[in-house]
Amino acid sequence: MRTADLIELLAHDVRATPPGAVGRKLAAALAAGGLVTFAIVALWLRCQPLLSAGQQPWFWTKVVYTALLTVVGAVGVRRLSVPGARLGAAPVAAALVILAMLGLAAVEIFSTAPAARLPLWLGHSWRICSPLILLLAVPIYAFLVAALRRLAPTRPALAGAAAGFAAGALAATLYSLHCPEQAAAFVVTWYTLGIAAATGLGAITGNRLLRW
Amino acid sequence: MTRLARRERGDPPVLQQDQTEERLRPLMLRSLEGDSGAHRQLLGTLGRYLRGYFARRIGTTAAEVEDLVQETLLAVHLKRDTYDRSLPFTPWAYALARYKLIDHFRRRNRSAQVPLEDAGALFAADDPEEGALRTDLDRLLQRLPDRQRSLIEDVKLQGLSVEEAARKRGVTAVSARVMLHRSLKWLNQAFRDENG
Repeated sequence: MRTADLIELLAHDVRATPPGAVGRKLAAALAAGGLVTFAIVALWLRCQPLLSAGQQPWFWTKVVYTALLTVVGAVGVRRLSVPGARLGAAPVAAALVILAMLGLAAVEIFSTAPAARLPLWLGHSWRICSPLILLLAVPIYAFLVAALRRLAPTRPALAGAAAGFAAGALAATLYSLHCPEQAAAFVVTWYTLGIAAATGLGAITGNRLLRW
Repeated sequence: MTRLARRERGDPPVLQQDQTEERLRPLMLRSLEGDSGAHRQLLGTLGRYLRGYFARRIGTTAAEVEDLVQETLLAVHLKRDTYDRSLPFTPWAYALARYKLIDHFRRRNRSAQVPLEDAGALFAADDPEEGALRTDLDRLLQRLPDRQRSLIEDVKLQGLSVEEAARKRGVTAVSARVMLHRSLKWLNQAFRDENG
């Protein structure tokens, strides 16, 4: 087929395209994936704190921390989903959020008696926290990848990492509805580790999955 | 000043690049509003620049270049909703073309450096002369189901409108449109899978 013929053919497939399609596709993917993960948390893990701890500051610290990371991740994914866009300050923003949480954790650790520090840091669930967040990130990541494949990321590994990060952070937010741990040191370590694992997995798989 | 310093010899002067932007962006905007004439003109112009850009970067057979031009035009067509109307058009087109070039090298296991330049690299020189075809696209077309292939041939070879082609095959115009769009998406996918 000559190129001129192809162009003629493509000109027959033109329809008005509403603006904002990219944001809508990604938002729909986050919502759909988030719903699946929320269902898993609610039905399998149960939302303990929401009933008893909804008014406690430590509960909201976790929610705000992970929700901020989710927003940063979503912005990153949005930027990397189209040709020619730059990642901008998203990684710096993520680092600042994590640093703020580290600061909070440091204050908490130093105001705790030395003997109580390790139990505070490890909590009751440090072994399962990161793996669970990684597991809960999978449905969200899958929806994001499906959306990204219909868009046009030109840096597949980086876009995959951003999608993994956003999925991990949203999974962590939803996991915090279940998790009874209260220490900032616990959250900044094991939650962040789970999100980091999702980011790494996203980079590796995205490099293969996000080709178009 | 750094922006000027990074420019390579042979890049067009900034003025010419701005003119390209001024010429192509309105075409893209009209194309997004459903203007098929503007779309045809945009893809035609873009195709000539893509041919020049790929030929300079690949430096091999014209057939390989032409296949890549066709694959990229198909991607521009199918991915055009990822263009943000508030931004310049040429950097979007350049980033997409560069991605297709990198992917082309990757699929052939050729390690080649594709420098990150500004969009002027794509619009440095155009080439209106279509290269000989190795016909990746024709080979892929053969793998489409009969109904879809004959629709494409009616529209392409006989110059029928989609409505006329639909009437000839006894389907509704809407389903013919859907069928055409699906076929194009399938071809876009097949380009990648076949060489990947």
